[in-house]
Amino acid sequence: MYKVLTVSKSYSYTKNIICFLMLVIGHNQYAQNDLLFDAQKLCSDKNYEQAIPMLEKVIVHPETKRDPASWHIRSYAYLQTYKQSGPANIAKINLLDTAMFSALISISLDSAKGYSDNNNAFIKNGAATYYKLGTILLQDSLNTGKSEMFYQKYKKYTAIINPTFDFKQKDIEYYNTMGSIFADQYMKNNFDQKHGDIAKMALLKVLELDPKNISANINLGILYYNQGATLMRMMDYDVDLAQLDIIQENAKKLFKQSLPFMIKVYELDPKAEKALESLQGIYSALLDEEKANEFKQKKEALNKK
Amino acid sequence: MKNILKYSLLLILAFSCLGFGKMQNYDTNSKLKAAFLYNFTKYFDWPDKMKSGNFIINVIGNNTGINGELNKMASSKQVGNQKIEIKSSSSIDGSIRPHIIFILNESSDLLKEISKKYKGKGALIVTEKGGLAKSGSAINFVAIDSKLKFEYSKTNALKAGLKTSDGLNGLAIVVD
Repeated sequence: MYKVLTVSKSYSYTKNIICFLMLVIGHNQYAQNDLLFDAQKLCSDKNYEQAIPMLEKVIVHPETKRDPASWHIRSYAYLQTYKQSGPANIAKINLLDTAMFSALISISLDSAKGYSDNNNAFIKNGAATYYKLGTILLQDSLNTGKSEMFYQKYKKYTAIINPTFDFKQKDIEYYNTMGSIFADQYMKNNFDQKHGDIAKMALLKVLELDPKNISANINLGILYYNQGATLMRMMDYDVDLAQLDIIQENAKKLFKQSLPFMIKVYELDPKAEKALESLQGIYSALLDEEKANEFKQKKEALNKK
Repeated sequence: MKNILKYSLLLILAFSCLGFGKMQNYDTNSKLKAAFLYNFTKYFDWPDKMKSGNFIINVIGNNTGINGELNKMASSKQVGNQKIEIKSSSSIDGSIRPHIIFILNESSDLLKEISKKYKGKGALIVTEKGGLAKSGSAINFVAIDSKLKFEYSKTNALKAGLKTSDGLNGLAIVVD
């Protein structure tokens, strides 16, 4: 052995270099796994923000960037950091986006399906948060654009973990919420047309999916009626007679538009008090006192029972 | 903690909105009638002796909707320099010199008596039951094709002691 080593200095040198490089490479690989391990430990201790810089190194290093564990832990760390930032924190939404993106990459790399349950749980959790944010945005800031963006994200991620999921009921629920909120805002904001139009669009979308939806039919009927009534309410007393006729004509069109929605509700549920009461009001506005009385009596009879 | 509470409340609020909206509690027919009555003041000329004091609209019959709307109108409008005053009674009060007598549907039976009593005294009689423009009122509201229109009897307006304007002919259903 000694002899061999002394035979050639150059051989010995080359061997040492190779050993050194192997040591460096080995150490480096060890360092990356070590970082992943440390990051994982920090996450266990709920120090997610400290773990994130480590994980950012792990996911770009050639030895660990294709490891589903790296992306999985990154997803977890970002998800938890987002949660720690406060409930429904829209300003920190990039944290949630990163968590979702990381979970998707982890899934794509995880041929052994070792992390699939957890990744799916992260995505399910994130999707639910997007839905919640979408709904809160409607109520809080009336920002339909941003709200719909979050709702689409909810659908996208839900479809990934459950490709056969039927979104029909969720669409109905979401657009019914939007329609109801904006119909309410229409009333509260002095019958602002913009709010009324958004409410109509959302409720009509619900009826496209479910023509027999009671809530959407009632709210649309009420919305059209209220728009007609608003025209009358806003009319000045000294409007000239020709103009008065035009206002009446426009209001009449709106009252007539409200009618089929309320009739639909009445047909679906003849004991729906709201429909009976609304039909009385609509027919009265259309100067059909006979019909108005008919529904008034039906409502009274219902209340007697 | 405050944020959690705030967003929980917003979520509850958002889903609670899934209920039904509320119809405006607004009597559109009364508003229409009030606007028509105010407009009529522009098409008739009352006797000079009635151009001072308040401009009185006497509603015969009981309808809180129309009374409310007319009082609202009275608080914001005038007829020339005259303030509008709304009086409401179930029958005619001889002590009042009204400019307009609005006989509600339920009190239509009183038309004959009222038109006789106020003949030539400068009271525009307005009714709201089919055919009454031919039975003594100058103006009669009618519902046609879901809209409020009015029949106009120039003869009855002249009998009431009012000067009339032909401007109303093109806007009304002229009965004579």
